[in-house]
Amino acid sequence: MSRFSGALQLTDLDDFITPSQECIKPVQIEKTKTKTGAKISIQEDGYYEETAAGKQKLQKVEITLQDCLACSGCITSAEGVLITQQSQDEVTKVLKENQELKASENTISQAKVIVFTVSQQPIVSLAQRYGLSVEKAAEHFSGYLRHLGADYVLTTKVADDLALLECRNEFIERFRDNAPDKPFPMLSSSCPGWVCYAEKTHGNFILPYIATTRSPQQIMGVLAKQLLGQKLNTPPEKIYHITIMPCYDKKLEASRSDFFNEVLNCKDVDCVITSIEIEQMLDDKTLDSFPCAPYDWPWGDAISAGDNSSHVWAHGLSTSGGYAEFIFQQAAKELFNTELETLEFKTLRNPDFREVSLEVDGKSVLKFAIANGFRNIQNLVQKLKRGKVQYHFVEVMACPSGCINGGAQIRPPTGQHIRDLTIQLEKLYRELPQSQPENVTTKTIYNNFFDGAHSDKSKVLLHTSYHAVEKMNTALNIKW
Amino acid sequence: MSGNTWTTKTILSDGHKRTIRHVSWSKCGQYLASASFDGTTAIWSKASGEFECNATLEGHENEVKSCSWSSSGSLLATCSRDKSVWIWEVTGDDDFECAAVLSAHTQDVKRVIWHPTKEVLASCSYDNSIKMYAENALDNDWECTATLGGHSSTVWAIDFDAEGNRLVSVSDDCSMKVWRAYAPGNPEGIATPDNETVWKCVCTVAGEHSRTIYDVSWCKLTGLIATACGDDAIRLFKEDEETTTKNEPVFVLATAQDKAHMQDVNKVSWNPVVQHQLVSCSDDGTIKIWKFVE
Repeated sequence: MSRFSGALQLTDLDDFITPSQECIKPVQIEKTKTKTGAKISIQEDGYYEETAAGKQKLQKVEITLQDCLACSGCITSAEGVLITQQSQDEVTKVLKENQELKASENTISQAKVIVFTVSQQPIVSLAQRYGLSVEKAAEHFSGYLRHLGADYVLTTKVADDLALLECRNEFIERFRDNAPDKPFPMLSSSCPGWVCYAEKTHGNFILPYIATTRSPQQIMGVLAKQLLGQKLNTPPEKIYHITIMPCYDKKLEASRSDFFNEVLNCKDVDCVITSIEIEQMLDDKTLDSFPCAPYDWPWGDAISAGDNSSHVWAHGLSTSGGYAEFIFQQAAKELFNTELETLEFKTLRNPDFREVSLEVDGKSVLKFAIANGFRNIQNLVQKLKRGKVQYHFVEVMACPSGCINGGAQIRPPTGQHIRDLTIQLEKLYRELPQSQPENVTTKTIYNNFFDGAHSDKSKVLLHTSYHAVEKMNTALNIKW
Repeated sequence: MSGNTWTTKTILSDGHKRTIRHVSWSKCGQYLASASFDGTTAIWSKASGEFECNATLEGHENEVKSCSWSSSGSLLATCSRDKSVWIWEVTGDDDFECAAVLSAHTQDVKRVIWHPTKEVLASCSYDNSIKMYAENALDNDWECTATLGGHSSTVWAIDFDAEGNRLVSVSDDCSMKVWRAYAPGNPEGIATPDNETVWKCVCTVAGEHSRTIYDVSWCKLTGLIATACGDDAIRLFKEDEETTTKNEPVFVLATAQDKAHMQDVNKVSWNPVVQHQLVSCSDDGTIKIWKFVE
């Protein structure tokens, strides 16, 4: 069973390709001119050898995840590639090597700082799986990661807060500018399944609608490598950053070239591990067999009381970051001077499609929606193409029920329907304390690290760009 | 049709950019859906008197292989090489909304067909299986309720009988199978896990076809089953009244028309109102209309 979101499983695939069989990737071969031309012979093990000027082993072609992402072909191959490049085995290997480096005084200087960042949804999933409260599950999980060799264990809270603030700023700016190249509705950008689907199938038509604010995972990537690096006086390439996420699509996101820092020569997030992989790594051990441990909070001295009083925070009620709720409330206040305590979302055709609107003098002035799952994405995109969408903002997530039901959350036990498990997870999520994104920490980080909101540095490090992928259309592929 | 000659009434053009793979009439006869390799499904409506394309359904990643209207006409199903089955809801005159994207199959989906009376959908695929789908009342989401495994190669086509209690399937494995539905609480005592109807293979016809069977049509008037085969023949099967039983039906070859076409027969379809009338089409580029004489 694929752990990608439904949207990605669909994204142009060719059923019959597996990596290295039919994938085509041209290799550049440095050629010296010969009179007779070179002969290439294929060895039994599949290696090619050039035989003109003595035998010379030619470079073996390897398909990387990068190639898969840049290709308009199958995503199913990418899954195979991901399994080797961003797997629990890879993490275990890196951690083991690091332990060995640390063990000897000669090599300790080569050891990396291992940083884990944990998002909320996997903790909720683990809590449900191992019958623990969410807070207890979070503490035992921190203990487990430290047992594995973590030097720092962080949560995504600070990045979740920053993503909301930045996305709000982007929305309000877009609303005020009302420029033709930044059309409405603004579509949320934190779900990599949705972004990848948009790039591959709707390309240049849809991309201008999508917010450029980075997802919390990628904001965390910047904070872990650069801000934490500064504080520890450690160069970014000496930090190995692993995130714990509820879906496989996040692995694709971490692998995007946009999130490889050329200057620092490292990825913002080195590896992504999902809930279901944690369950496999724990094997037959239970989570509470690892002693509780705290989470690190290296974001400055000015921790407001309450910031670190809980490890797991909810953002609104959508379980996917709360973009629609937060931005709607903030925009109502900022643009229409209306304070809204609670929002009443109206369910449309199905529970995964909801809308909320603000009326001033009987006229709808602000209209937002949440569209989860592929069928609702589909209807949204088709309506958009026909110019029939009235919304200003849509929170779009590829999975039905949003991130709490991410494709790589722990599966329900035999006999339980995924729907019933999701209801339980949603209940746990809704009992969590609510984060207030405007707080001392985010303010300090904006001021001290990003040179303030709306600064050039924040535009670079808190935003990203998208790239349409050309479709391959070859008549040769026809299969009746 | 005038007398025994058929003439072209209308040519519907400009709806698609590539091959049209399949067409489906709505029960009321007012709508025609066409599935194309360009990835779209076009809806043609006779509302204004002439057939006009009034909606194009986009969403499939690549070739759409088949389309089917539900008996009420309020739902349309499509399937594609992208391995998915989509259900579209008619929400207004020319408005269609996607009600479900079902990714139960692991390969190219060849055919979709609705139950003759219920909102139950069946699909068959290159993955050798047949799947059934129904809407779950709890969350208005469609889900796969049954998988029918038994064929050893691509299942090219399926069709329900008049009541919808049985389904016939034909395959690249050169066999034809008949399946029967056993609802929860069935008198035979067949277990129905999760309170879902179970489909069991009750009859396999093997050895009659020498090549891939591409299509099957179960006549709702006479109960005759027609098959279209890669060996250029059309075959008719009837239920053997003497030996057949409810749980072990017997189907025998009623007639075989060898060289029905010059090349592979791609499709056969019974006339829904005129008994014993059958239409077929082939790689040879012809369409033939047949009359079965007992």
